[in-house]
Amino acid sequence: MLDVSSCKLSFGGVKAVDDVSLRVEPGSITGLIGTNGAGKTTLFNVISGFLKADAGSIRFMDRDITARDPSEIAKLGILRTFQTPVGFPRMTVMENMLVFSRHDRDRRSSPFSPARVPAETLEAASAILADFGLYQKRDVWAEDLSAPDLKMLEFARAMMAGPVLLMLDEPAAGVNPALIESLASRIRALRDQGVSFLLVDHNLKFVCNVCDRIFAMADGRIIAEGTPDEVIADQKVLELYIGKSAKTDLQ
Amino acid sequence: MSGLLLFLVSMVSLGAIYAMLCVALNLESGVGGLWDLGIVSFFGIGAYAYVIVTAPPAASYQAYIFGFEAPVWAGMAAAMIAAALFALLIGALTLRLKREYFLITTLAFAEVIRQIFVNEAWLTNGVAGIYGLRPPLREAVDPSAYGFLLLALLVAGLAIVFLVTRHMVISPFGRSLKAVRENEALAITAGIAPRRHNLKAYVVAGTISGLAGVFYVWYNTIVTPGQYSSDVTFFVWTAVIIGGLGSLRGALVGGFIFVLLHDILRFVPVSGEAAATVASLRTAVIGLALILILRWRPNGLFPERATVFGGAAPAGAKAMVSHNA
Repeated sequence: MLDVSSCKLSFGGVKAVDDVSLRVEPGSITGLIGTNGAGKTTLFNVISGFLKADAGSIRFMDRDITARDPSEIAKLGILRTFQTPVGFPRMTVMENMLVFSRHDRDRRSSPFSPARVPAETLEAASAILADFGLYQKRDVWAEDLSAPDLKMLEFARAMMAGPVLLMLDEPAAGVNPALIESLASRIRALRDQGVSFLLVDHNLKFVCNVCDRIFAMADGRIIAEGTPDEVIADQKVLELYIGKSAKTDLQ
Repeated sequence: MSGLLLFLVSMVSLGAIYAMLCVALNLESGVGGLWDLGIVSFFGIGAYAYVIVTAPPAASYQAYIFGFEAPVWAGMAAAMIAAALFALLIGALTLRLKREYFLITTLAFAEVIRQIFVNEAWLTNGVAGIYGLRPPLREAVDPSAYGFLLLALLVAGLAIVFLVTRHMVISPFGRSLKAVRENEALAITAGIAPRRHNLKAYVVAGTISGLAGVFYVWYNTIVTPGQYSSDVTFFVWTAVIIGGLGSLRGALVGGFIFVLLHDILRFVPVSGEAAATVASLRTAVIGLALILILRWRPNGLFPERATVFGGAAPAGAKAMVSHNA
């Protein structure tokens, strides 16, 4: 599905991504954990084409996407989200959905393509919005939504786009703890429909609960990989999260 | 026919031309987020292209070498094509820049183009310009009634421009343009290539401005470089802001309101000596109107509104909402 091999990216003297290789298997939920500044979001930006790697290669479904334009990568079926889900503020919730629809994707390049949105597209968008509790707010500007609603709209947009690989940057951040389990079950349900996931989050419980496989990053490098149980038991990961001295103190 | 009526016809005609420019600017700068300070470039290029193609050969006191006396439709086509090509060229260069950097380069290009009109006299007859141009259907009606015919042509032109632009704004093309304006990074993840998309909007706006240039030649029967200074750009921006940036109706109405404000001082009865002073107050009136609008109606007289889509409610929509609320 997604194959990142030996990717490197430096900002001045800082090696933000330092020889990173990782794989996302088809139909899997793969997690990426690490402390702040470990390079997770930078790696997201490299994979989605927002930043160009200095070295290494990225393949997606047997295609080399290393130096591709980010909008081209998106068209291949990789959808990434951002840490702040502001959406398109001065567009309605429904417009936010339509921008990600297949209908718009196929017709946006010409200023003369038909303006009418077919009923099927509106119905599909409405059904997704209803599922996320946003249907009643479909004609409201996104800037007038509450933070939790914006978060829901982010998932709704992702569902509308129908990606092959969904890259979620901190999906659980800002989500009511009581709703995190429902978020996890939504992710699993989508996986069962054939969507693969690569997600970054700081909520270890959530990541371990939802992911099949986890990669741990520190200082731009992958320091551990494996199943959730293997990774959280890893010595280097423990040191990273609890601290070396703290751990020896505990012993 | 009374003088006042003639004056009114003339004002509404000018308003229609400004409204066309407003609609074009609103497409790229209101719906799209381009800070374009060079809209006058394509207005001027359209006007000159039309004149070069349709004007009669130069008389002895004039210097330009072209003058094909081609029919009006050929002139209009030439104007739109020339404006589109220049917009493509200038846009491909300047759209690598964003915001204020884009703004300053487009302003500079507009000035470069005006200097070309001034200096390339073999093409444009220089500062003197080309005059005595015959607007279309001039012989069809009595000269005293021609103002009405021209007004009808301008209003018809404006209606077509408005409808075409409206279509673009509400189509997936316009929605994507707005998406880039609102959140470029997110728009990219939807598969939109911002620069290419903005370039299309820039070329469309340039083409419409070029057409407006043709109408401006009909209105004036003369073309000179002085008509295409950056004042026009700022006037059109003011008109769009007064009308409501991003709003189609605002752009349409803004052009007329601007011309009304600009020429309202003509009604002030003053002595001959004071006339020049009063005339110079015109821009002050516009400035005052702009300040008042920005203070009390910052989104313009007709603010951009939410686009509402119809369609049946999905089954169980209500239940899910109350559940989630």
